[in-house]
Amino acid sequence: MRRAAVGLLLAAAGVVATAAPRLLDFTADERAAILAHGPWPPPLVRDPANALEGRPEAIAFGRRLFHDRRLSADGRVACASCHVPATGFTDRRRTAQARQDEGPRNTPTLWDVAQQRWFGWGGATDSLWAASMVPMLATGEMAHTVPALAARVRAAPDLAAGWRRAHGREIPADDEAVVVGLAKALAAWQATVVSPRTAFDEFRDALARGDVRAAAQYPLAAQRGLRLFVGEARCSVCHSGPRFSNGEFGDVGVPFFVPAAQGGGVDSGRHAGLLALQASRLTRLGPHHDGDAAADPRALLTRQLVMEPRHFGEFRVPGLRQLAHTAPYWHDGSAATLADVVRHYSLLDEDRLHADGERILRRLNLSPQQTADLEAFLRTLSTPAPRADQRSMASPSTHTR
Amino acid sequence: MKAVRAAAAGLVLAATGVAAQPASAPVAPAADCPPPKAGAAVIAQPGLRATWQAEPTPAVSRPFAIRITLCPARAELLRVDASMPEHRHGMNYRPRVQASGPGAWTADGLLWHMPGRWDLLLVVRVDGQERRLVQSVTLR
Repeated sequence: MRRAAVGLLLAAAGVVATAAPRLLDFTADERAAILAHGPWPPPLVRDPANALEGRPEAIAFGRRLFHDRRLSADGRVACASCHVPATGFTDRRRTAQARQDEGPRNTPTLWDVAQQRWFGWGGATDSLWAASMVPMLATGEMAHTVPALAARVRAAPDLAAGWRRAHGREIPADDEAVVVGLAKALAAWQATVVSPRTAFDEFRDALARGDVRAAAQYPLAAQRGLRLFVGEARCSVCHSGPRFSNGEFGDVGVPFFVPAAQGGGVDSGRHAGLLALQASRLTRLGPHHDGDAAADPRALLTRQLVMEPRHFGEFRVPGLRQLAHTAPYWHDGSAATLADVVRHYSLLDEDRLHADGERILRRLNLSPQQTADLEAFLRTLSTPAPRADQRSMASPSTHTR
Repeated sequence: MKAVRAAAAGLVLAATGVAAQPASAPVAPAADCPPPKAGAAVIAQPGLRATWQAEPTPAVSRPFAIRITLCPARAELLRVDASMPEHRHGMNYRPRVQASGPGAWTADGLLWHMPGRWDLLLVVRVDGQERRLVQSVTLR
């Protein structure tokens, strides 16, 4: 199907040609498509809506809050109860384990979360700080109310001191501002959760500088899988850019009916997210933007959103970095393994997709070799271990009520 | 309303992977229009011409604005939109259109979230008639 590899390097002994590194003869278009997935990490871009981003006192406070069970009404769960740092900021369960009810959605990872445009599987929030408020206030999750949570901050000396240090000012009288202030500290810390470089990044950068010898160290199966990814499988149409996501939403044929055990009904994904976003005052268009909303391009996007029938049943296109450590997959956690995800696309039920909808996806009918290659490539987007041993990820002592 | 395709004559908008492509034979530009700015894309119909430039250069999933100049200057830009005909979907955002001077307009809030062919649509009213100007742009 593809041209033969070039640049075969014989092993030092000169006898084991089959094990020698090889580099596929990627075309100019393929190279351009591959280079578009880097460099990594990308330049830091601060969110003008959150003045706490980059502020060391706020990052430290946010990190402590992340593990603090007092953020839930009954003191039972912290953010870290579901977004477990040691397991890729997920709980490895089909749906969130720490909820008081069993909700319909899988816990999304927090790796590189600050680079998202929309948050949650349906994009119900347009900033990381607003997204951080959702679980604190949602029934079935941390189940707090704004007045109760603000009162808890004021009554706990360590929380009150942390709030003041993070913001460099006194705690305001307005309860909502107090809770938004907590969420902004949480967001400031989460913005530091950037995934490490991977084998793919080494390959991509070697290709960019024309270092054939270094590029050829990238496993051949991963190279073939990458060629599929940017080529005939068309994965990179949606999984684009350095984060491997276009930041928008898609319907890839995963059922949106919710099992009766998880409440039944339908999870309409982006449709529900748009409704929630438009009804919320906790957006970039609301009173808690720390900068000039009129000069914030992301605020403009919030204002100019459209809602169309195709958005029903669409879910956020996830980034793919650290993918190997964030199973299970899909918005409902119904794919247990990476192999299940690849199999889904290989055997895609095109009739399931909207009859009058997009014409992006088609059944791939991958051979066993292609299936293995695609999975081999996807695994190179992750570090060998979850890397939760970084200093900033270490779990501090957990507070309880 | 009859959609008339652009006459861009293979105009390359940028070296970074965005190209406007002619979808049909070129037509003569509107008379008495000043030369387009260097680097601007041109969409012309008999008696009407639009030139436009993007800022920043469109890239996949990056918001951008376009500055549009209409000739004759009395023409009014009503709407800007874009769609991917091969995918059968449009943008997830409705661009905001604002007048910025005689014959000059700005549309911001555009975002092309996938690579491939996008059809940029300008809906213009001139002399009481609505006209649709369409130009195909390939985003790589």
